[in-house]
Amino acid sequence: MKTCFRLAPLALAITVGSAMAQSNDEAVAQMQQQLNAMQQQLNSVKTDRVRFNGFFSTGYSRASNDAGFSGVTDETSIADQSLLALQGTFDVTEKSQAVMQLVGRGSEDWDPVIEWAYLSHRPTNDLQLRAGKMRLPLFMYSDSLEVGYSQTWARTPAAVYDPVAIQSYVGADATHTLNFDGSSLTTQVFTGFTEEEGNISEVELRNTAGLTLSWTDYLWTVRGVAATAETSINATRLAAIAEANGLQLVDGQAVLADEERGNFFGIGLGYDDGTWQVISEVTRVEVDGAFADTDSAYLSVARRFGAFTPYAVIGWVESQDNDERNGAFLAQSSSGAVVPAAPESVLNTRRDEYSAGVRWDITPGVAIKADITHVRGFEGSAGGLNPAFVLTNDHNSTNIYTLKLDSAF
Amino acid sequence: MKKHSLILLASLLASPMALAEVVVIGHTSGPDSITQNQVRDIYLNRSQQLPDGQKARPFELPEGNSARSEFHDKVTGRNDAQLKAFWSQQVFTGRGQPPVEQGNAAAMKATVASTPGSIGYLDAADVDGTVKVILTP
Repeated sequence: MKTCFRLAPLALAITVGSAMAQSNDEAVAQMQQQLNAMQQQLNSVKTDRVRFNGFFSTGYSRASNDAGFSGVTDETSIADQSLLALQGTFDVTEKSQAVMQLVGRGSEDWDPVIEWAYLSHRPTNDLQLRAGKMRLPLFMYSDSLEVGYSQTWARTPAAVYDPVAIQSYVGADATHTLNFDGSSLTTQVFTGFTEEEGNISEVELRNTAGLTLSWTDYLWTVRGVAATAETSINATRLAAIAEANGLQLVDGQAVLADEERGNFFGIGLGYDDGTWQVISEVTRVEVDGAFADTDSAYLSVARRFGAFTPYAVIGWVESQDNDERNGAFLAQSSSGAVVPAAPESVLNTRRDEYSAGVRWDITPGVAIKADITHVRGFEGSAGGLNPAFVLTNDHNSTNIYTLKLDSAF
Repeated sequence: MKKHSLILLASLLASPMALAEVVVIGHTSGPDSITQNQVRDIYLNRSQQLPDGQKARPFELPEGNSARSEFHDKVTGRNDAQLKAFWSQQVFTGRGQPPVEQGNAAAMKATVASTPGSIGYLDAADVDGTVKVILTP
């Protein structure tokens, strides 16, 4: 009895307590439900229809002479190396997007240029169709060529990436992804045309058609590409050099290809286990006519040590059709006589590149890179660099020192 | 008073242990389980699907969050800088957008609870019945 009395208040307290707890729980559950409903409404409104991303690079490069590797001379300024890009991704429907990327480059007085402008549609999870202005997918890093932050290097290996002066095309592509257990095979077909004016030449590609195949198990990547186009090339720099020497090239002399068949082939291999990164690409450019057909390759090895990633790259490019350039580019002298201005062999190309550098990830989104590149092995050619300098000076090499800051946001 | 200090003590004792366990969560209407590789593929843009065929809507905690570090350490094997570089490459090549970030564990839980097809991760101690634990990596 005594115990009973003693226990009664306790039992009461427990009952009251649990009743209170229950009503509290109910209230919390109710509030939670209301909150969820509100959150759901909020989510359905904001579903991120528009997203903006950007990237920025700036840096300083200096060369030991004026050979002009990657456009760097011994007086390149910081603005020349800088670029700012903004990308807008607009969800048109659940399966369709519009993407536009504006890039302003210091070397072009920051005039914004539209590099990407396309509509993409995914009829199924495995298939993507795109139409508009896009990057020509010739290389493993074509798509992210200017996104320095996404690459280990200070610049893409020039031996492979420079012989093709153009980057974009207007057309359409279809990309299909076949997923296996732990790996995937991506097939891309593309077609379109290009008209681009570079520092060295004006290039026009018509009826471009190409195929890329890429297999990856997310450790290894193997990629193959083949593309063909009716190619026209006007060597504007050659004409400018002649003019600087008081010679006017005879009409059509600077046209290295006039709707000639141009082919491109490439094989790429990548390995990335999070610590070691090994990348190699081997490419071939073939264009009928005087334009130099080149074979190129590079091998890059990098290793991550926490925030620091040192890397080393060796690259090589060599023209394969030197025997087809035995003639001369003809010019009109001031007296009116037609004279040979330069042998066609100025287009012959051969060089080796050696780069050593380090990427330092200061904070997620910002990386600094330091790079030294040594270029040699011209073997009497202009090395794909500035022929006016390389062929008339004794220098048989050039060094390029680069300090670069890359950011993505 | 004594009860409160006991709870305080208990939570102090429990929290270091709870920190060491991150769990993958999903919407209550979603699949009951998922493999670690499937989670990795969703968070590295290799797959956009949950095991039940729904479109996956992954969410992320902010950089520097301990549950985030632990999740990526165990599931994707990448640190914040590597993830940033990876996503910058995906974004600027038009391949996709990174998972939407939630400001903190409470926002993560509320968003996963209210978004069909959602997938996220939390410290096991932050989980309650509004979301479903689908994997303990």
